[in-house]
Amino acid sequence: MIELKRISKWVMVGNKPNFILKDINLGIKEGEFVSIMGPSGSGKSSLLNIIGMLDDASEGEYFFLNQAVHGLKEKHRSQLYKQYIGFVFQAYHLIDELTVYENIETPLIYQNIKSSERQAMVADILDRFQIVGKKDLFPTQLSGGQQQLVGIARALIAKPKLLLADEPTGNLNSRQGEEIMDLFKELNKEGVTIIQVTHSEKNAGYGTRIINLLDGRVEL
Amino acid sequence: MISNFLIIAWRNLSKHRVFSFINIFGLAIGIAASLLIFQYARFELSYDRFEPKGDRVFRLEQDRFNNGKLSTQWAAGAAGIGKLVKDNLPEVESYAHLHGTNGLVVNYKDKEFRENNTVFFANDAFLPMFGYTAQKGMQAESLKDVNTAVMTASAARRYFGSEDPIGKVISMNKKKDFRVTAVVSDPPPNTHFHFDILLSFATFIQMNGPGAETAWGWDGFYTYLLLRPGTDPAAFEKKMADLVHSQWGPQMKDTKEGIAFHLQPLRDIHLYSNYMFESETNGNGRAVYFLLVIALFIIVIAWINYINLSTARSVDRAREVGVRKVLGSYRTQLVGQFVFESLLINALAVILGLLLVIGCLPVFNVITGKQISFSLLAEGWFWLVLTGLFLAGTFFSGFYPALVLSSFKPIAVLKGRLAGTGHGALLRQSLVVFQFAASVVLMVGTFAVYRQLRFMQTLDLGIRVDRTMVLKGPNVIDSTYMAKLSAFKEEMLHEPGIVSMTASTEVPGNKVKWNAGGIRLVGSDPTRVQQYRVLGVDYDFMKTYGFHFLKGRDFSKEFRSDSAAVIFNEAAVRQLGFGQPGEALNKRIEFWGKQYTIVGVVSNHHQESPQAAYDAHIFRLIPEVTDYYSIRFHGDENHSEAVMQAAKRQWAAFFPGNPFDYFYLDDHYAQQYKADEQFGKTFGVFAVLAIFISCMGLLGLASFVTIQRTKEIGIRKIIGAGTPGILLLLTRDFVKPVLLSFVLAVPVTWWLLHRWLENYASRIAVSPWMFVLPALLILVIAMGTIATQTLKAASANPSRSLRSE
Ligand SMILES: Nc1ncnc2c1ncn2[C@@H]1O[C@H](COP(=O)(O)OP(=O)(O)OP(=O)(O)O)[C@@H](O)[C@H]1O
Ligand SMILES: [Mg+2]
Repeated sequence: MIELKRISKWVMVGNKPNFILKDINLGIKEGEFVSIMGPSGSGKSSLLNIIGMLDDASEGEYFFLNQAVHGLKEKHRSQLYKQYIGFVFQAYHLIDELTVYENIETPLIYQNIKSSERQAMVADILDRFQIVGKKDLFPTQLSGGQQQLVGIARALIAKPKLLLADEPTGNLNSRQGEEIMDLFKELNKEGVTIIQVTHSEKNAGYGTRIINLLDGRVEL
Repeated sequence: MISNFLIIAWRNLSKHRVFSFINIFGLAIGIAASLLIFQYARFELSYDRFEPKGDRVFRLEQDRFNNGKLSTQWAAGAAGIGKLVKDNLPEVESYAHLHGTNGLVVNYKDKEFRENNTVFFANDAFLPMFGYTAQKGMQAESLKDVNTAVMTASAARRYFGSEDPIGKVISMNKKKDFRVTAVVSDPPPNTHFHFDILLSFATFIQMNGPGAETAWGWDGFYTYLLLRPGTDPAAFEKKMADLVHSQWGPQMKDTKEGIAFHLQPLRDIHLYSNYMFESETNGNGRAVYFLLVIALFIIVIAWINYINLSTARSVDRAREVGVRKVLGSYRTQLVGQFVFESLLINALAVILGLLLVIGCLPVFNVITGKQISFSLLAEGWFWLVLTGLFLAGTFFSGFYPALVLSSFKPIAVLKGRLAGTGHGALLRQSLVVFQFAASVVLMVGTFAVYRQLRFMQTLDLGIRVDRTMVLKGPNVIDSTYMAKLSAFKEEMLHEPGIVSMTASTEVPGNKVKWNAGGIRLVGSDPTRVQQYRVLGVDYDFMKTYGFHFLKGRDFSKEFRSDSAAVIFNEAAVRQLGFGQPGEALNKRIEFWGKQYTIVGVVSNHHQESPQAAYDAHIFRLIPEVTDYYSIRFHGDENHSEAVMQAAKRQWAAFFPGNPFDYFYLDDHYAQQYKADEQFGKTFGVFAVLAIFISCMGLLGLASFVTIQRTKEIGIRKIIGAGTPGILLLLTRDFVKPVLLSFVLAVPVTWWLLHRWLENYASRIAVSPWMFVLPALLILVIAMGTIATQTLKAASANPSRSLRSE
């Protein structure tokens, strides 16, 4: 599903390149549940952003479902992304001005899905995550764990093939964290490919594979 | 999608009430002000636009020269020019020829009115040229024959009520009768030429001789030309000049006179013509464009507020943009969302603006002295302008912030790496500079207009215009008039409180219409003649008005020779060629075939508003004048009911059959300032509005920046900064653009002021403090505005702001 070839990322400091990622070669198949680990500053988030097409690599090739992402125009990339990828953040990043229901609905709007269909889909997922009672609340009225549930629901609403999560449990207590991990496990069983960044060995254990980063390189 | 846009826009509006209020209210004021000014300007610009042949109609403006120097400029020129060009130049399809009257008493049976500048002699070409058609009576024959008249519908109603006016006879000063042959519709309000009654010009010729159609030295005749389609005005003027030169040149050469005619396009007369004998006080094109610029300023200032507040808040909105992009939004969709928000705000502003227009219309009418009615709401153009403002506002104010906001890169903003206030700060500051520069221009302008007005009102006029009542003299008179006038005067002087009374051809505040050419010193070169403005006065004129004698004496009954005496003013003495008043004393002048002796010289006086320069006046003793009686009285007030009642009583006794018409001279004189006053008021009101909207924007920015820096302020206070230090820190960023705006505004304002003051012969000097004072005022207002926000933050307890982090 994902094929990274000699991916590097650097920023110029003064007039010397400062490498964030260096020479990454990586393949991830459909159905995998991958955990990326490594010390702070090792480049985990940067790698995830490149995979999620939020950021460009400075060098190298990236194939997603056999399409050359590095050669795509912004608009096409965004179409590809919209169709296949869901994102979960450590800081949830819900839109404060929208209710739980509207937050979850938004990606569907951007995919031009009809209103009646949207209603059904949102109702489904609210049901599944057992947050029907919260649907008219605003994000500030929810606890951290609830907000993250909404964030995941929003990421999943458009039925993505790939779920990317950057420290999804970082702001939660351990019980809440476990619930989220169980949910991921379940989703993975249903066929969603998952890549998560985590600092916790225990969380990493839910996955099928661990990739260790150190100073922008993959540790073998 | 739209409903989603609407939801988020609405929630944003209600969440950030201050911003929403500033934006909507500011825009609404801008929209309301623009609509009102547009309406005013549209009316002024609509003058004479409706005339079907208007693009081919021109009025002849006449310049007279003496010894090659321009001496007078006339809206109503020589009697002979119309016929001359019609007979000789094929480009002229027809010419309209008119002559005004003043204070005629017109009556039909017992209905009697004094017609002030509303009765004109006109030839038969006038009505067709201006598209007047007969509502009643015969169109074709109108004004052809002697002793015929045409009335407007409202005048006909005034005299005849429900009777049919056609064929009825009205009489002028109970001396001359005219038969009404047609009734035409009233002239619309937006024409430069209004009349109630037209008398046939043939009658005027019969009364005054054929010179009324041929003379080149007799002024006061309005001449309009209808040129054939395709005539080039410039080429025609040239041909006309050649014609005048060949016809009248040889005669004019004798007296070194010169005359030139210019075509005034009909549609330009109202806004751009201000010469002697205008048929009515015209508008001021420059003032109209000034106001339009102000309208533009105000609406742009309001748009700038929106741009500034939206981009300043972009930091707030950035995270939302990032999330939306991650959720799959295209940039164009985000632009759409933000433009939609601007659309919503502008729509609310339009609604509020409409309410403001409706609420402020009566006030606006008082300020501008115009009568704009609510019927403007039924006019198509109004909604067109409104829609235009709405769309332009949405576009200008919404588009730039939308582009800025939608440009954020999601990972950057989600990681909180967006450079704090740096984003668009330069642009924001530049826009603030523009806002305040515009405010300074308007404020300095307002101050200057008021100072100039005060200056003119308190200027020593050289005469007294207070505590004076003026009666319009009788028109229906007979051979006993002189005796009656003396007796009337005698009786009036016996009335309590009355100091003196005088009869004269003009009173201060009037343009002197008696323009006499051909005047020279006896024995001097007969080709060196000059024109003077002459006032015919009786024995008490100088005394009543308090003229200051520089040399010589007043007219006196003790000198029987005074019927051949004149008094000059300084300007006239200089024009005659003398440096000192004394040199002119006892000199004799030629005046229309007679000789007069200069028995006195008085200092100059402002016959008209000090806007006009001192004129060269000759005062001639004519005790039997009929035009005006000026009555000066004692008392603390400029008006006196008792004097008026006494005058009315005596008038009825001495001049029965003449309407009693009076005015107080201070009011009459002040009339001349009305246009300036209204311009000043209008200017002032809109200047204040502009400053108000600018300050609202500043308030919004200050409150925003202060909120953003709350944490920094807290930390600074904990490490020892005092409230003044914090205030300085917060204020500095705002003072800079305001100060810069002064620097930019001063040269522009300086130039504009000089241009404007050129209109005034007596004017204030442009001094630096005229800039400093308004600028300081604006600075204080701006500082006060900012202080309301910063003071709160600077004096807040730091532990609170930090705890909430
Ligand atoms: N835009 C940028 N400019 C300069 N340096 C950057 C930029 N983005 C990331 N870096 C650097 O790249 C390195 C990797 O950052 P990244 O956020 O990927 O680390 P991380 O592994 O996710 O760390 P953490 O576990 O703390 O989240 C860090 O050293 C960071 O300083
Ligand atoms: Mg990270």
